[in-house]
Amino acid sequence: MDASKDYQINLDVFQGPLDLLLFLIRKKKIDIHDIPIATITREYLVHLETKERINLEREAEFLLMASLLIYIKSQMLLPREKAFEEDEDPRQILVNRLLEYQKIKAACTLLREREHKEFPKWKRTSLPHYVIQDDIELTEVSLFSLAEVFFLLMKKKEQDNIKILRGKDYSLEEKMKEIVAILEEKDFLDFKDYFESQETIGEALVAFFCMLELIKAEIIIAVQDKLFQTIKVWLRRKRKP
Amino acid sequence: MTSSPKDIIESLVFISPEPVSLEKIQEVMTEYSKEEIERGLAELLEAYSSRNRGIRIEKSAGGFLFVTEPDHDPWIRRLLRASRKNKLSPAALETLSAIAYHQPITLAEICSFRGVDASHSLRTLLQKKLVKIVGRKKSAGKPLIYRTSKRFLTYFGLDSLNDLPSQEEISKLLDEDQDEENKEPSA
Repeated sequence: MDASKDYQINLDVFQGPLDLLLFLIRKKKIDIHDIPIATITREYLVHLETKERINLEREAEFLLMASLLIYIKSQMLLPREKAFEEDEDPRQILVNRLLEYQKIKAACTLLREREHKEFPKWKRTSLPHYVIQDDIELTEVSLFSLAEVFFLLMKKKEQDNIKILRGKDYSLEEKMKEIVAILEEKDFLDFKDYFESQETIGEALVAFFCMLELIKAEIIIAVQDKLFQTIKVWLRRKRKP
Repeated sequence: MTSSPKDIIESLVFISPEPVSLEKIQEVMTEYSKEEIERGLAELLEAYSSRNRGIRIEKSAGGFLFVTEPDHDPWIRRLLRASRKNKLSPAALETLSAIAYHQPITLAEICSFRGVDASHSLRTLLQKKLVKIVGRKKSAGKPLIYRTSKRFLTYFGLDSLNDLPSQEEISKLLDEDQDEENKEPSA
């Protein structure tokens, strides 16, 4: 039941120009080894035109086949002294491709049957795939269960009896103002001294970022008289508006 | 050492994530002779074939693996919360069939067999690990060469590539189709 349904879908959406050609050949009951090129080309083009759902990506491939058909016809129309030998027939390339494609299609049908037969058997080799699929399927957690887990974790934390000492939060903006204020008062800052005067590493880091920021904004200037001497930070006299 | 080779092999097949071959079993069971292992394997296969159980042993991709009883599919799917397995798309199956019968093969060759661009379906097959890259062709552009993988064999329940539907089977199917067409003209 299932298979016949699939088959119809396949006819509806052709897998490619070879698929369509094969369908037309069967429909017209044409001998694949002796294809009337003119007839089949006409049929083929009519089908392309009437096809409602044109897949633009595939269109080029269908047109390529149409041009091949017309090329073959033109080859056959050219006057010749002798009739074609069998292996000289311009249709031969197409016939070979069609025969090969027909085999692939038939093999598909047989493989599809096998696939169908194997599906209800579960194997360890096929499992990981499904585990992954399952992972993607996210389940929504309610607010209450989230809160529950959160409070459980908090309780656990209390029992752990670990105190985390949190330092002050430093804002870049405040620190920058502080640096500028100091500079306005003292003319210059000793880079090293200033960092050592900071309470924590965190504060020192923030101070460093502030300096970089101020340098970039051309509000302050960092200078070093000689190599390995301390860096001094000056306020630029002319501030940009 | 009181365990019988048959039971050890059963454990090995059970735990192996992919079909385990006779060679692999021999490699692991160094304490046993080749004859003992072969006899054990035969006994094991015999034991499973004669009993009605939830699992069977099958020969696949040159090795042995446990598969579940097909009739139990509904319950397994419920357990795994898998609605149904995704079939290969017609395009992917066509590409796979072209590779299976003409391997080793390049993308350009696949496209010429199918008459369409097959790069997308080839990518799908690589992702599903049904085909693998085995090297590059020593020709212009050094295109990649593809082959079907072991997983391909297991997927279709084949022991080796020799078990692919044969040319005779294919011809028979084509003849049948032809007859059918002649009997009732298609709409």
